Amino acid sequence: MARLVAMQPRQASPWASSSSPLLPSSLSEFNGAALSISLQRRRTWQPKGALQVTASSAKKILIMGGTRFIGVFLSRLLVKEGHQVTLFTRGKAPITQQLPGESDQDYEDFKSKILHLKGDRKDFEFVKTSLAAEGFDVIYDINGREAVEVEPILDALPKLEQFIYCSSAGVYLKSDLLPHFETDAVDPKSRHKGKLETESLLDSRGVNWTSIRPVYIYGPLNYNPVEEWFFHRLKAGRPIPVPNSGVQITQLGHVKDLARAFVTVLGNSKASKQVYNISGSKYVTFDGLARACAKAAGFPEPEIVHFNPKEFDFGKKKAFPFRDQHFFASIEKAQRELGWAPEFGLVEGLADSYNLDFGRGTFRKPADFTTDDMILGKSLVLQS
Amino acid sequence: MAAAVTIAAPALPSRHSSSCSLPPLTHRSLSFVAFTSPTITKLSSHRSPRRFPSAPSTSAFSIKAAAAAADKKRVLVVNANSGGHAVIGFYFAQQLLSSGHEVTVLTVGDESSDKMKKPPFTRFSELVSAGGKTVWGNPAQVGDIVGTAKFDVVLDNNGKDLDTVKPVADWAKSAGVEQFLYISSAGIYKPLDEIPHVEGDLVKDDASHVSVEKYMAGLSFSSWAVFRPQYMIGSGNNKDCEEWFFDRIVRDRPVPIPGSGMQLTNISHVRDLSSMLSLAVENSAAANGKIFNCVSDRAVTFDGLAKLCARAAGRELKIIHYDPKAVGIDAKKAFPFRNMHFYAEPRAAKEILGWTGTTNLPEDLKERFDEYVKISRDKKPMQFDIDDKILESLKVAVTV
Repeated sequence: MARLVAMQPRQASPWASSSSPLLPSSLSEFNGAALSISLQRRRTWQPKGALQVTASSAKKILIMGGTRFIGVFLSRLLVKEGHQVTLFTRGKAPITQQLPGESDQDYEDFKSKILHLKGDRKDFEFVKTSLAAEGFDVIYDINGREAVEVEPILDALPKLEQFIYCSSAGVYLKSDLLPHFETDAVDPKSRHKGKLETESLLDSRGVNWTSIRPVYIYGPLNYNPVEEWFFHRLKAGRPIPVPNSGVQITQLGHVKDLARAFVTVLGNSKASKQVYNISGSKYVTFDGLARACAKAAGFPEPEIVHFNPKEFDFGKKKAFPFRDQHFFASIEKAQRELGWAPEFGLVEGLADSYNLDFGRGTFRKPADFTTDDMILGKSLVLQS
Repeated sequence: MAAAVTIAAPALPSRHSSSCSLPPLTHRSLSFVAFTSPTITKLSSHRSPRRFPSAPSTSAFSIKAAAAAADKKRVLVVNANSGGHAVIGFYFAQQLLSSGHEVTVLTVGDESSDKMKKPPFTRFSELVSAGGKTVWGNPAQVGDIVGTAKFDVVLDNNGKDLDTVKPVADWAKSAGVEQFLYISSAGIYKPLDEIPHVEGDLVKDDASHVSVEKYMAGLSFSSWAVFRPQYMIGSGNNKDCEEWFFDRIVRDRPVPIPGSGMQLTNISHVRDLSSMLSLAVENSAAANGKIFNCVSDRAVTFDGLAKLCARAAGRELKIIHYDPKAVGIDAKKAFPFRNMHFYAEPRAAKEILGWTGTTNLPEDLKERFDEYVKISRDKKPMQFDIDDKILESLKVAVTV
């Protein structure tokens, strides 16, 4: 049963200690239109507009996962909003960790309020009984991959108000026409078909669901070596190997913007049974991303070496962190329907990640330049 | 866009158009018609020049009056007589006419010029049948040409620089035109690593369209807006787009594409552009002071477009990628699109005008191919000198 918890007063910015919403420096002088457009968007970031918790009560929320990346930020926002938040994890990672830049007081406050339900989500019986015993209003499923994992959750909570699912833009069928819109064809054979099957299951069960499809997520604590991969090479003063032309276009979305999007759909009737692409406002080429990482971290412009992946056998290792194709999605549906907009531009977001994580000496995967050396070795030979 | 389009030399003013009912021009020699605003307002008989220090009261009155009159607008389109943008004015005029507005199209030059033997000009009778007026002349003399006719809206779909547009803008201001619209170009955006071009992004300081945009903004029209298009397809297009691909595909020739073929561009059906312009006319307050990327909402790669053209034609496709520098040719002459990512998104139109795109390349290209065949262009004998040079040089590289 939901317990009413006193609402926390909202802070000026959800990320008071770390970010400053800058106007992008790329606005031109002749920016009459630009100003009016970005002002419109900025209005929605203000405390009143951005985190639109309905006037009704605080919710009893369960996050599947929540201790590694997205959930770390999402849970903080939800707790600040006054909801009762429980994290369902096996307990392998610490339930809470103080974020770089987070004040001791904020951390203690969060730590004192967050709850933990220890278990293995693959133990479907346990999931069903423990969730039924607790009763939750809202589920955030951040780490679900397969539809079967969601069934016991739905079985346990017949009165569930909303199921909010972290899907992936990886479900879209590859296309020559871009960006991907939510209405585009999906690929039933993709690596992410479990996400698709979960979305279908949710729909078929008649539950009030919302599905969020991020593209590439980045930000402090990222455990997928996206920006970290570039930072390792920049720090080592190494060239950045990029497959093929380097003009392939990808898209990064800051984890904090993603967390805000997750909060925006909570209790939002517009979001009922809807899918939303959530990522950054602009896209970037592979070469451009290498340059953006350097700029964000204060490194000189990197040397980029293009290679033909077909000429190498890298075994199981990945020579580059992105899929070798154009891959980006339009976020306009979320902007239009939810009034959500990303706060972080690419360079600002990468700087946030660097300043709070890699730049402090922390990273998830140690540097591994094996594939780089294969590529560079060969390119040196070609040059001579 | 700017690099590929040839700018027509301004023509001598015509006497009057046979198809319009505007009052005939008084005969004057060019030297007498020295074009400056004060001179023009002396010549015109409709109203004396006034500075509008308190512009709002006059504009507010005319806006209220227009609203009361069920928003029927009198629109003047100043249209180029050639080039990739020429077709925009034609579709815009058609759409306005079918919505019940009054339209006059002033095309640069002479009605009798050879340029008028190409589309969309060959279809101008459709505008007249729909109740539109078509006139020809030198836009620098627009005041003379239209005489006492009054307009609420003017679209300049002609000038690429201030010299060409200033006379039109100045006349429009002095003639009390409420809304001034300008077809600029997405080609003025500075190419950056981050994509797409979004309204408000940096533009090239030296781009001639930029000076026009800035000048317009300073004229205090009740409403003004700038539209930045890219490439278009659609019946009546004056410049080749998809035809370049069809020409090669139907003749079983390889399609030479510079670079990786992954370059993104925006190919819109021109109806998307005219619908955006029409929305700006019908929502002049919302559109005021805005820049609109006048494009569809999808990008396509060069390779992707070739594939879609082949599919539309029902034929096989062979793409050859090449490096223009290595081959020693100018990519601008060898390929219809600029050799780089060139992709703008219509975010302002969606957000501010509630515009939606309808371009559907797979379907639209089928229609285009049907027309391509209907006019027998597939049978037309053609030379492919640059293609041959490219293919030649690639063969040479391979055998070494």
